[in-house]
Amino acid sequence: MRTGDFKQTYGELVTLVDSPPVWLWSAVLVAGLIAAPFVLNSYALSFLMIILITVVGTLGLNILTGYTGLISLGHVGFLVTGAYAYAVLVSKYQMHPLVGFLGAGVVPALASLIVGAPSLRLKGLYLAITTLAFSFIINTVILEARWLTNGARGISVQRPEIFGFSFDSDAAFTYLCLGFAVLTLFATLNIRRSRAGRAFVAIRDNDTAARVMGINLHAYKLFAFVTSAFITGLAGALYGIYLSFVSVEGFPFLLSIEALAILIVGGLGSALGAVLGTILIVLLPEATRFVFSLFSAQIDAVFTTGAQELKSMLYGLVIILFLRFQPRGLVGAWHDIRRMWVNWPLRY
Amino acid sequence: MQYFMQLLISGLAIGAIYGLIAMGFAVIYKSTGLVNFAQGEMTMITAYIAWTISTTVSGNVVVVALGAILAAVVLGLIIERVVMRPMLGEPVFATVMVTIGLAVILRSSINFIWDAYPHGLDVGFGRSIVRVGPIGVRTGQIAVIVTLLVLLAAIWAFFRYSKIGVAMRAVAADDRTALLMGISATRVHALAWAASSVIAGIGGVFFALSYDLSPAMFQLGLKAFPATILGGLDAVLGSGVGGLLIGITENLAGGYLGSGMKEVAGFAMIIVVLMIRPFGIFGERDIERV
Amino acid sequence: MIKYLATASLLLAGAFLSTSLALAADPGITDTEIVIGDVEPLTGPPALLGVAASIGHKIAIAEANAAGGINGRKIKYVLEDDGYVTARTIQGVKKVTDVDKAFAMLGISGSGQSIAVMPLLEKAGIPTVIDVAPVKFLWEPPRKNVFVVGQSYEEGIIHLVNFLAEKNPGKKWGLITQDDDYGVTVRDGFDTVVKARKLNVVYSGNYKKGQQDFSSDMLQLKESGAEVFLAGGIIGENIAMMKELEKLNIKPVVGIFWPGRVEPVLKLMGPAGDGIYAVDYVEPFAGAAGKAFLEKAKGLLPEAEMKGINRYSMTGYAAAKVLISAIERCGKQPTWACTIAELEKTKNVETGIMAPISFGPGVRFSNQKLQIMQSEFSTLSFKPVN
Repeated sequence: MRTGDFKQTYGELVTLVDSPPVWLWSAVLVAGLIAAPFVLNSYALSFLMIILITVVGTLGLNILTGYTGLISLGHVGFLVTGAYAYAVLVSKYQMHPLVGFLGAGVVPALASLIVGAPSLRLKGLYLAITTLAFSFIINTVILEARWLTNGARGISVQRPEIFGFSFDSDAAFTYLCLGFAVLTLFATLNIRRSRAGRAFVAIRDNDTAARVMGINLHAYKLFAFVTSAFITGLAGALYGIYLSFVSVEGFPFLLSIEALAILIVGGLGSALGAVLGTILIVLLPEATRFVFSLFSAQIDAVFTTGAQELKSMLYGLVIILFLRFQPRGLVGAWHDIRRMWVNWPLRY
Repeated sequence: MQYFMQLLISGLAIGAIYGLIAMGFAVIYKSTGLVNFAQGEMTMITAYIAWTISTTVSGNVVVVALGAILAAVVLGLIIERVVMRPMLGEPVFATVMVTIGLAVILRSSINFIWDAYPHGLDVGFGRSIVRVGPIGVRTGQIAVIVTLLVLLAAIWAFFRYSKIGVAMRAVAADDRTALLMGISATRVHALAWAASSVIAGIGGVFFALSYDLSPAMFQLGLKAFPATILGGLDAVLGSGVGGLLIGITENLAGGYLGSGMKEVAGFAMIIVVLMIRPFGIFGERDIERV
Repeated sequence: MIKYLATASLLLAGAFLSTSLALAADPGITDTEIVIGDVEPLTGPPALLGVAASIGHKIAIAEANAAGGINGRKIKYVLEDDGYVTARTIQGVKKVTDVDKAFAMLGISGSGQSIAVMPLLEKAGIPTVIDVAPVKFLWEPPRKNVFVVGQSYEEGIIHLVNFLAEKNPGKKWGLITQDDDYGVTVRDGFDTVVKARKLNVVYSGNYKKGQQDFSSDMLQLKESGAEVFLAGGIIGENIAMMKELEKLNIKPVVGIFWPGRVEPVLKLMGPAGDGIYAVDYVEPFAGAAGKAFLEKAKGLLPEAEMKGINRYSMTGYAAAKVLISAIERCGKQPTWACTIAELEKTKNVETGIMAPISFGPGVRFSNQKLQIMQSEFSTLSFKPVN
């Protein structure tokens, strides 16, 4: 019989996974994802792509907001910078796509040093507003720097070819996104286990206490900004390739809010939460569409013109109801289920 | 000078609208500790209801104004009771997220109930132009500036002298102690939501009067939120002033540096100000104890 | 066990066969039905354009269905909402082509969105007629299966500026545009004429999309002393600008472009909006052709949808008409290849609401004839100017 969970060494506390079955199921999941492009039609595949790209972006935001507790309302700024860095390097200057991806990470990371600077002094929503300001200012900069970015005209982006392997087909591009998503997931999980990750969480929980413990607040806050921006920039490059056309308009402010929504719905501060939240939020419109299709005849009869708006109202309603009954997010629900599974029939 | 004056007056007029909505943000933050991401949407709904009253019931200013205020109160109370109260005691992040969900619903309800066409709010007042020398101002613009100033004074007096105002400050300062003193937190929250809805709604109606109604109006919330931060999130009066400052800055930047700089200038000013005063101009410093 | 496997493999083989059989005919067509797909912004502020365009498509489709469909096949119209978000446009097109198996497409959303789905459409090879946002990128270089009904923003503004320049020689000019691809193309067109005619431009503004307060911009315009003003806003922006000009007590000659040429705008501009010039390639609703269009729509649309009609319904109607007539000409067994070939052969198709539409070999753009109109406050309508 299994008993409770006892951790006896420090090493056990920080292992990536605490039981062999998790490895097994993760392998099954990855195998499933690898098989997916052969099974799914291109519509379903487009959801998979969006989910994988969004996972990269939200994991990036999770480092800053989830781990370190610095709220960002302007992450779309890093997303758009990354997309432009890739587009300019690869489409405009015909550089190697890998250089493009590197640039897509490095340029936002450099920008984040500027945005991160106010964070050394500001907290909470006051910091959030400077990130918001950044995302608006960066749009103006991109639009003004016509010689580099084509201004409002935007840049067309082809799907990349790396070392002779073309990622042109949907299936191949899905694998590219999958690769990035898996790498990012491991990277963030490992960051969380490292000294830096513990420092981040300490800052989030109580920055004064963290400082007393000898954590260099300035260095670690900036480090959180830089890693977060780097990862988000990569997501931006992937998103730009997915859109095949990079323009300021393709990256609306709404994406910043949606990324936060994903983290909160998933469960703040957990990589698993970021993944689960992404899946839920990306598939939610499709789910509401499904519910709608069941009653489509009646709804169309009653609301000839408003049916589409009703659908987005339903989307908002689901978010509200979900948080009402599961305020700790999907991760909370997951833990409850797992505990029930292990301890049944006992409650604890 | 004349050019400057014209810019200043237009800046004050739009700034007053930002200021009113910003006060809406601050009222809720001060008494519940939440940022209401649906503020712009609530403002928009109130303005649309005012328009409906003006076209169906009566176009009289008084009728529309009273109707709009009543509608805003009801809207605020319903949202508080149905959406926000069940979240009492839940994590702040989840609760703020709920307001984002609410914003989605309210935004969609515009095209659902009304339509996507722009509409003009006509109450037989506010559209005529007053000319002082070469400078032209609409009466509605003067009215919104005056309204903001009156409200600032009234709210100051309310928090300073009335029993409820003091209770609200108490809940904001320390809700548990306030509860022990016999103050009903839920009642204070309900009052805050209603008040916020009304104050922001007034801003929305004035906006509709000077400009027009469109489903894009919720973006006012996005302009007013920085104003709240500038003034100080917990400073109701400061937020009103913050709105004025942003309106003026935007217009001066637009007038002297060119239209492209308009949006950026407001944000640039906020960053600079926050570097000097990290809790906003009128915000209170958070004292942390470990 | 072996028995199961055998059945399973049989089933699988059967499934394979049936799909490959289905592949023989192009998707979206059965003996009784033809599916036409569309993706438009149906929610949020841009619904103004998306809903209107979809209504135009619906009118043409209802008209064809009322007349017995395309050679006996009824048209089924599948409409997806993208909320004006490019990623959702891509997904919408994928849904319409892969899940609903559309035979042809109409639309598609705004200019940026159309551009983004272009590689997708090209790869799929589905016959497509674009009507909402005609920008050069969509027909240059010409793509085999993508046709564009309309006129480019550039040509539109060139036509308008030429007209205004002839009418107001030697005047000072002002221009304001939006900071997106629409604004850039408008500016390009303007610059072409400025260079050719050596116009004196004293004000050139660039506003941020979503800006609502234009007081400082219009004040700059006033200070510059511009006498002819091109308002490059869309709907709310143009209204706000006109009201500011009224407040500032100046009345330059004003020109606007078709995206903002919807009648409710005139009511909101008030007397300030009287006499502004507009350029468009569809007939105004106040004219005989416009009235006939509304009359036709009344018989085919539910009452609630009538108020959603604006100029985009006309362009949508024309595009749908062109597509339907091409499919019709393919006879009993329409295929993609035939539809594309017939679209290419489109010659002087009459729609009643714009000049006859033609394409040709290598010509994927119908290059509609433009006309200048002027607004009239007393009747809240646009009237053609000769």
